Amino acid sequence: MADLKQLHDAIVNGNSKKAVAITQQAIAEQMDPGELISSTMIPAMAEVGRLFECEEYFVPELLLSGRAMKGALDLLRPLLSASGAQSAGRVVIGTVKGDLHDIGKNLVVSMLEGGGFEVIDVGADVPPEKFIAALKDTSASILALSALLTVTMPSMKTTIEALKAAGIREKVKVMIGGAPVTQEFANEIGADGYSENANSAVALARRLMASV
Amino acid sequence: MGTSVKKTASRERLVTALHHKEPDRIPIDFGGTAVSGVHASCVAALRDHYGLEKRPVRIHEPFQMLGLVEDDMRDAMGLDVFGVFPRKTMFGFPAENWKSWQFNGLEVLVPEAFNTTVDRNGDTFIYPEGDTTAPASGRMPRGGYFFDAIVRQPPIDEEKLNPEDNLEEFAPISQEDLDHLVHSVRQAAATGCAVIASFGGTAFGDIALVPAPSLKYPKGIRDIAEWYISTSSRQDYIHKIFERQCEIALKNLERIYAAVGDTVDAVFLCGTDFGTQTSAFCSVKTFRALYFPYYKQLNDWVHSHTLWKTFKHSCGSVARFIPSFIEAGFDILNPVQCSAAGMEPQQLKANFGDKLVFWGGGVDTQKVLPFGTPAEVREQVLRRCEIFAPGGGFVFNTIHNIQAATPVENIVAMIDAVKESGSYR
Repeated sequence: MADLKQLHDAIVNGNSKKAVAITQQAIAEQMDPGELISSTMIPAMAEVGRLFECEEYFVPELLLSGRAMKGALDLLRPLLSASGAQSAGRVVIGTVKGDLHDIGKNLVVSMLEGGGFEVIDVGADVPPEKFIAALKDTSASILALSALLTVTMPSMKTTIEALKAAGIREKVKVMIGGAPVTQEFANEIGADGYSENANSAVALARRLMASV
Repeated sequence: MGTSVKKTASRERLVTALHHKEPDRIPIDFGGTAVSGVHASCVAALRDHYGLEKRPVRIHEPFQMLGLVEDDMRDAMGLDVFGVFPRKTMFGFPAENWKSWQFNGLEVLVPEAFNTTVDRNGDTFIYPEGDTTAPASGRMPRGGYFFDAIVRQPPIDEEKLNPEDNLEEFAPISQEDLDHLVHSVRQAAATGCAVIASFGGTAFGDIALVPAPSLKYPKGIRDIAEWYISTSSRQDYIHKIFERQCEIALKNLERIYAAVGDTVDAVFLCGTDFGTQTSAFCSVKTFRALYFPYYKQLNDWVHSHTLWKTFKHSCGSVARFIPSFIEAGFDILNPVQCSAAGMEPQQLKANFGDKLVFWGGGVDTQKVLPFGTPAEVREQVLRRCEIFAPGGGFVFNTIHNIQAATPVENIVAMIDAVKESGSYR
């Protein structure tokens, strides 16, 4: 029988090969995919987040664990709808227009997925209309915006204004992050939340979902 | 006569500050390195502001689109440092034989091999060695202000990974490149300014260079996330790259020193970032295991053979690494990102000010300089000078390059404030 403790540890230790192998075995044994995610993988990524918060883990380890988690999740995702499992929420995420940087955004994607969210990643250098189209297509409740550059931070404001103009601002919670971004800036541009790192983005997304 | 008196004072001013003594006033650098420079659009605006001769700005560093700070601008702003750069840019073509180029409506001069294409979205692509038949290695989004490296990662076969593949860009310096450095150092020294030189090849794992924008068909590990992962999961591979890179760098430094001697005052050794806004890219333990031994070898060689001071750039929250930077032999820290976690200026000066020169930290470029008022800029500059200047060991510079779209009145307010507070006597 698939050893779920080992799957948990493989994700925490960033061992992609092992995480995938155990997940394959679990699928072959017809374990419930939703249960596998909620009882093993989400706690594993929560542990990764804890290690990051207490600075035992850094960006490389987050990337490794995120990769292991994604390898397992890619196998389970097609089986989820059949099992009737519920996600923690649906998030559209991207780096704003003019900004090509995506490492930070990708870490947030990993952590959100590891937190049980369904994440629609629309990439980097994303114009407001593309965010709006993705929100409309997916009925996501949260829009997560990333920017690394001071010169592209204003694109966050432009995107929020475009949501208003499109008449969907009230239907979506907007969270923002990135090196130069601050809570003060989030308040200034009317975002609903700010997170200073990938791990706290998960807690923020959960709070925002509770207020949807 | 006025010029020569002022200029001679510039070198003495910087050297005094680098020796942790108080010169006549705080030395100022803009344009000395690719991390203490000025975006081309701001160079143009400053030239207008100071009423300098109207001529297109030269993009001497095309990756970040930094404008060359020329002698007349250095004089107008009261700058003390002259930068020496390698012959070739980050895109592998030489910064020579200038041609006109339109940059967001501004006419600038770019090197002859600065060849670009524009796609349907209006994004601009630039090519390694200017060869448009090779895959593009840089991309500037439409309306953007600089290029980002395009990652060209060949598929990775774990069994066949060869450190040699990550060493293509590190080679013994060519005679042509050495001649360029000799000429540039002479030209710099003749101005009477202090000289900081970036020779290249001494950065271990600088993430801006990992994608190898200068190479046409890079091999090895070139993807940024893959590289970061490798610093944790493939440390043997990284060590082999650094070991060989270090050997090549030491031989190059020896040849360069034999050719330029002590007319160089400071040398930019490494721009690898270890800090993020709120944390770090690795633990101190990893830093000491993976990077420290190579930094120490370079610094030891420099300090036992030359009078050069060594310059370490790392953005972000790096207070935890500073004792190791000092132990590795670095003399200068840049950009001193006081806006990052644990980088309070008073603490940095109190804890490390006697051992480390702060080349930067003068004003925040994430918020105050681009978005504040001139009064806010002045206030922060005065405060930072008050903290960092006592006892020397401070070279005024912004925290990293002056970014595009920074209001010129804020830059002028900054320079005026340094002059207002900058006198030691």
